[in-house]
Amino acid sequence: MHCSRTFSRFYQAIIFVLLAFVSGCRPSQEPAPQEKTGEKKIGVLLLNHGSRSERWRQNLIELEKNVSEKVLSIEGIDGIQTVFMEHASPSIADGLKAFDREGHSDIIVIPIFLTIGSHMFDDIPTIIGMKENPASMEKLKLENIERYIPKAKTHLAPPLDFSNILKTNALRRTLALSKNTGEEGVVLVGYGSTTFDAQWTELFENVGTYVCKKSGISDFSTAWCGHIANYSPDSTAAAINRILEKNKRALVLPLLVSSSEQFQNEIIGGGIAVVSDHESRVQYKPDAILPDPDLEQWIVDAAEQYAAEIIKLSRTQEASDLD
Amino acid sequence: MRKSSGESLRKINNILHRDLGYFFAALIIAYSLSGIALNHVDDWNPDFIISKEEIKLNESYQKNDITPDLIKDFSAKVGENGYRLYDFPSSRQVKIYYKDATLMVNLQNGEALYEKISRRPLFYQVNVLHRNSVAWWKWISDVFAITLIIMTITGILMLRGSKGLSGRGKWLIAAGFVPPLIAIVIQQL
Repeated sequence: MHCSRTFSRFYQAIIFVLLAFVSGCRPSQEPAPQEKTGEKKIGVLLLNHGSRSERWRQNLIELEKNVSEKVLSIEGIDGIQTVFMEHASPSIADGLKAFDREGHSDIIVIPIFLTIGSHMFDDIPTIIGMKENPASMEKLKLENIERYIPKAKTHLAPPLDFSNILKTNALRRTLALSKNTGEEGVVLVGYGSTTFDAQWTELFENVGTYVCKKSGISDFSTAWCGHIANYSPDSTAAAINRILEKNKRALVLPLLVSSSEQFQNEIIGGGIAVVSDHESRVQYKPDAILPDPDLEQWIVDAAEQYAAEIIKLSRTQEASDLD
Repeated sequence: MRKSSGESLRKINNILHRDLGYFFAALIIAYSLSGIALNHVDDWNPDFIISKEEIKLNESYQKNDITPDLIKDFSAKVGENGYRLYDFPSSRQVKIYYKDATLMVNLQNGEALYEKISRRPLFYQVNVLHRNSVAWWKWISDVFAITLIIMTITGILMLRGSKGLSGRGKWLIAAGFVPPLIAIVIQQL
């Protein structure tokens, strides 16, 4: 009897705690964004994929610090924020909402992505309200990634492959690893894309060809470490072995925006570990594209170009309104 | 007195095991189903049914040829009356967006892929829970995980004698350690 009374109180307490918890979990109300002023007020959103790795996040935060002063000195721009598509905060929606609250009229979204992929072509435009890709809409909901259509007008800049950054970055890092270019081949490891495999392959072919031409290295091979390769080290190992068939040493270069324990250590490092004589025949540094002064300048240039176009368009509009 | 206190504790143990089992029965089945589904994520899409249909347009196009009327013609071939938007992933491709489908057209060879997405019944819903797609669900999930530990311990302590922990129980527990230990050892090799 006593036992069942105790349990009855126990269950009542559980139900009370659960109700209190659920009632406290309602989403908070977003304050309404301020009205736009006549002047253009532009924000820059530095958008990257995101990772649970603190090392990954830190590189992107550093990038923002390094470009902030130059970007904020551009006419019309008065805000800059780094946001993460997934696995880290602030999210894209957080960034857009913050710019809306501050009354920005325009947001330049600069994606720190290598090239076109499902994220770049469909997911990001869907998150910021430029598209409604059905698969992205469903995926975002399932992965709890908030979609937010800002009051401010968004301008999405192209990814990194529209510049020479990847080529010069890969060359610089290859030469830093190299001991004797005549005896070496390069392995370029990237995330890859199932849907846009042709574009990724073409990009890596271009980068590899450039690195070989400029460094005197005769061979390069490509490996994927992302979803297309099931996050397995096998592709890396196979690409290294292809190089070692013809060369004395392989230089392994991660063409990833930032560093994370999963990619640079477990997947790429795991691929190297299964190659025989890897201690003497494989040169590897678990680094990333960042930090790169050229990439920083590319961001400043992109922000400057988009801001100039926004202001020019606005002035043209004002002039035609006056007429 | 001592015996009575032991009996009382055992009774509490059994009640806890029984009632937690009843309360979490639905969630245990949901997580188990979702677990099986997500285990094979490389072999199938556990969340969505994506139906694919390949069509041939029998013509090649240039990016400049693409007009809204042509997009409507492409759409009509897959039974879509209207479209929401179209965009060019490259100069060789155009992607057309519908409410719950897309059509990717290779402009060079006229091959097109129509993909329609829908939620996989039951699995989508249980995966929503397992993936913590509702932000606050992870806390419930934590409570559930702790409860599973309690249920396991109370289950171990439930019976006495030759069928209890001191009898066959200890051997079965030891045997249960073997598969995970083998897997861990193999992984470390």
